[in-house]
Amino acid sequence: MSAETAPLLSVKDLTVSFKKGRQVVQAVAGISFDVYEGETLGLVGESGCGKSTTGRAIVRIEEPTSGEVLVAGKRLTGLGRGELRRARTSIQMIFQDPVSSLNPRRRVNDIVAEPIDIWKTETGDQRAATVREMLEAVGLDPDVAGDRYPREFSGGQCQRISIARALVMKPKVLICDEMVSALDVSVQAQILNLVEDLKAKYGLTLVFIAHDLAVVKNVSDRVAVMYLGRLCEVAPSDDLYALPAHPYTQALLSAVVEPDPEKATSHVTLTGEPPSPINPPSGCRFRTRCPSAQERCASEVPELREIAPRHQVACHFPTLRP
Amino acid sequence: MSNEQSSIAFPSTEELSGPLLRVKDLRTTFSTPRGSLTAVDGVSFELGRGETLGIVGESGSGKTVLARSVMGLLPRSNTTQTGSILFEETEIVGAQEATLREIWGAKIAMVFQDPMTSLNPVVRIQRQITESLRLHTSMDRAEAKATAISLLSQVGIPSPAERVRAYPFQLSGGMRQRVTIAIALACSPRLLLADEPTTGLDVTVQAQILDLLSSLQSARQMAVILVTHDLGVVATRTDRIAVMYAGHIVEMASTKRLFASMAMPYTQALLRSTPRISQPSHTRLIAIDGRPPDLINPPSGCAFAPRCTYATDQCRSERPPLRTAPEDPTHLFACWNPLQTGNAGSITTAKGEN
Repeated sequence: MSAETAPLLSVKDLTVSFKKGRQVVQAVAGISFDVYEGETLGLVGESGCGKSTTGRAIVRIEEPTSGEVLVAGKRLTGLGRGELRRARTSIQMIFQDPVSSLNPRRRVNDIVAEPIDIWKTETGDQRAATVREMLEAVGLDPDVAGDRYPREFSGGQCQRISIARALVMKPKVLICDEMVSALDVSVQAQILNLVEDLKAKYGLTLVFIAHDLAVVKNVSDRVAVMYLGRLCEVAPSDDLYALPAHPYTQALLSAVVEPDPEKATSHVTLTGEPPSPINPPSGCRFRTRCPSAQERCASEVPELREIAPRHQVACHFPTLRP
Repeated sequence: MSNEQSSIAFPSTEELSGPLLRVKDLRTTFSTPRGSLTAVDGVSFELGRGETLGIVGESGSGKTVLARSVMGLLPRSNTTQTGSILFEETEIVGAQEATLREIWGAKIAMVFQDPMTSLNPVVRIQRQITESLRLHTSMDRAEAKATAISLLSQVGIPSPAERVRAYPFQLSGGMRQRVTIAIALACSPRLLLADEPTTGLDVTVQAQILDLLSSLQSARQMAVILVTHDLGVVATRTDRIAVMYAGHIVEMASTKRLFASMAMPYTQALLRSTPRISQPSHTRLIAIDGRPPDLINPPSGCAFAPRCTYATDQCRSERPPLRTAPEDPTHLFACWNPLQTGNAGSITTAKGEN
């Protein structure tokens, strides 16, 4: 699509390690990906795979151990505190729990205006007008909602307020970490539609982190699958779901339950659970649970390589398309 | 649906062939500082032996309160219950705790959503499983321990003889949920209530747990009530589905029938707002506008009317009773303007879009 143009967000060989006693947990073990302007990249994986840590490391809420993050060609990693703060106005994050990410003691108007107040970009009527515009954009009535407190709103409405706050500085990139996981399906659909509308309206570029494969497919142009700190497969959404090449992607997709009784429940039953990231398997990290693992998988780490246009997979024995 | 029905005595001759559970006009009301809240409002259904019933609804629909009512697990201090829940020949509504204790674990068991809080964090797995065995059966310690190990292996826990000595924090979320299932199954209950048993678990673990539940259920001829917000979870693993909204059952039918020809606009809206992997990327979801009503001041007509695209004046003023579909007497729905059967489940019907 836009392979010739430079990516807006570029993650290069990112690693994030945590110390746990004397041991080191490598939550993110060297991942690289690009996100192009106006694109939504979905990041899926099971709990503990490092997808949230990746999101947090991009905006440096979690300090990357090594690697680089570039936004519009500008390095985010290595910036000093002041510079980082300024850079963060163009890259915002939305979290899973909408209620706890809002200050319960501030009114909605002030919550949404907080970035404006910090940067003193606008005051008085102009500030009020921007807040109104943002609240309207996320589907809240500014006259009703503005003077209320977060506790007076449902989870879905609180998530709308978080979105308004994230967008008020007109960021280029939005990192959404499990932003609809806590919501009921009917509300989830409202928020997913809203995200699509706002993306078009404000020309946003999104990294959409979630564990729900159907939700990720719905919003994403491309999807990256993560397992135990590494990327398994990256491909355009429709390709990835139709022709998954990595055995892990296949296992994930076969486990999805669809609201259709005619769909036979044929699972590639993945036995066991992911191994501990403290002592990950040698070679391919998925090999201990992989149905097609061979000797080579234990000795050699599979690198992400292109098997079809824009379809990358990190597997020695991927399922190639017919 | 009057209260008088609750006093009807069921003939005991039907006992073995008849349903395992009969819920009649159940009404569960909580008193809250804002007023009384009717969480379950006149629910009736029957459950056969070995049958799997899915109860589907969004948060606040009353599905969890219904499950807890069946188990007799609601706080006594602020709860009023009317109607009847007849489990075999035992009435659960208003039962003494001594009666319930005989049933809990032995005849009805429950698996909760959060395995971390439903397990005792300072007690080894072994004692948590053997507790009900020692209470309800005449097993001695050694027999109970052997049974505990066998249960752990039945629920797919590797090296059960060692894991039985573990504390809950030493297990992963999926393993903990397997342990709660083992505890629930210990005394071979006739009814298992599973309240969102896989919410919060990863997809691969969810598939494992759901498969485990279905295989155990058919092996043990156990009836299961599967409470969930996810239509996907119930689609392939239940015999019948009841859809709840604002404390009412708004539609109930066999699983096949429900998905093939749903009559209730709410069921359709729920299905249409669920993203699916079979749809292409960026498919516009048909969201349900607004949100569920406040159950302290419920609307006078159909509770779904304010959010329903088909609502008429009648819907807003008069509550639709639960009635039977003409083609299928087991299909019940509460709607004045039911969907045309046949195309109801189709995603492409233009009428529902807004």
